Amino acid sequence: MSGPRDIHAYLAEFEDIPGTRVFTAKRARQGYNLNQCAMSLMKDENRERFRADESAYLDAWNLTPEQKDALLKRDYNRLLDLGGNVYFLAKVFSTDGQSFAQAVSTMTDMNFEDYTKMMVAGGRSPEGNRSIKEGR
Amino acid sequence: MARITAGVGSSHVPLLGVASDFGKDADDYFGPIFKGFEWTRAWEKSEKPDVVILVYNDHASAFDMKIIPTFAIGCGERYKPADEGWGPRKVPEVEGHPDLAWHIAQSLILDEFDMTIINEMDVDHGLTVPLSMMFGKPEAWPTRVIPLAVNVVTYPPPSGNRCWALGEAIARAVASFEEDLNVQIWGTGGMSHQLQGPRAGLINKEWDNRFLDSLIGESDAARYIPHIEYLRETGSEGIEMVMWLIMRGALGKRTHMLHRHYHVPCSNTAIGHVVLRPDNGEGYDMTGSEAERADAA
Repeated sequence: MSGPRDIHAYLAEFEDIPGTRVFTAKRARQGYNLNQCAMSLMKDENRERFRADESAYLDAWNLTPEQKDALLKRDYNRLLDLGGNVYFLAKVFSTDGQSFAQAVSTMTDMNFEDYTKMMVAGGRSPEGNRSIKEGR
Repeated sequence: MARITAGVGSSHVPLLGVASDFGKDADDYFGPIFKGFEWTRAWEKSEKPDVVILVYNDHASAFDMKIIPTFAIGCGERYKPADEGWGPRKVPEVEGHPDLAWHIAQSLILDEFDMTIINEMDVDHGLTVPLSMMFGKPEAWPTRVIPLAVNVVTYPPPSGNRCWALGEAIARAVASFEEDLNVQIWGTGGMSHQLQGPRAGLINKEWDNRFLDSLIGESDAARYIPHIEYLRETGSEGIEMVMWLIMRGALGKRTHMLHRHYHVPCSNTAIGHVVLRPDNGEGYDMTGSEAERADAA
């Protein structure tokens, strides 16, 4: 057994990672309808209905007003806070004709061009990005 | 008797599938990545595996939030490439090996691994991209495939130790299958990457390479890496690397490296792959292909 046995300590550590929302059970519950709604965009006919009237499409999914607003605004960081998971939200990226990297860059403080440059230069360094408390 | 003759660890970035499908695999961006797989493609041609046990994760394609199996084994006859939102990849259907898959599923359950059994599902880039990287663009995939899907999306995923132990149990199951089969096991996903939040784009070349090192030889240190270390050091999606430990665990006490390659970036991700031989006194070269290649060279 290598895993932590104390679930509370295990989960608490996730809050110490800078700029990261780990998809915990709590988020999975909070985001259930949101993620299933995003999943529905796997089907072409649903994508068409979504594009025709996004607001009406979302109304059928029992989202919270915050989730609906964040989705209409494509505010992905907020969607993560509201229980969204990136692999489900990716169905929205592809519905919008956005590449994964393009959509991901909107969650950072960089535009897509600068984000791409960072990746080509070797990506974001882990230095200073491992722990909020320890500043390492 | 069936036997596991080799293990492959490999990233499965969806963009590689796009590059392969649209003929961009030799351009400036993708060229260095695909070049790193040339050795492996030639090797696979000579190895001719009958079956690949392909460990991967589904990315909200076959499974949504309704059902989240920790370990699921595909026992079906065949699997179609999934429509991931832009139409299915135009790659061959994947042919299963139900006899061996059911044998492994039964053996694992008796060995106290409570597997989910899947008879019908579509397979996404997590499974088809590694096939493209290892086999190129054939009319039909030259091997049968047993999909083994692991939940690495909703926390907690299985521990590294549990993955390693599952690999060991898979090796025992394969060894008790009567038909002579050349079986490979692939662990896919990773390496360092984070696809979400302000820290997106994190890459940790040093850690990734230490991880590759740790799969070679006798060390089993990698099985004890806790989830939090993957998260801090390799980005939120680097956790996929626990799937490589199922592959490593299946190769027994000791391994011998045949090939490795590492490149940054592909989209948001560090690309790595490693080809390993079990090295437990049976001799490295179980299929004679290393000798064949040496003669050709």
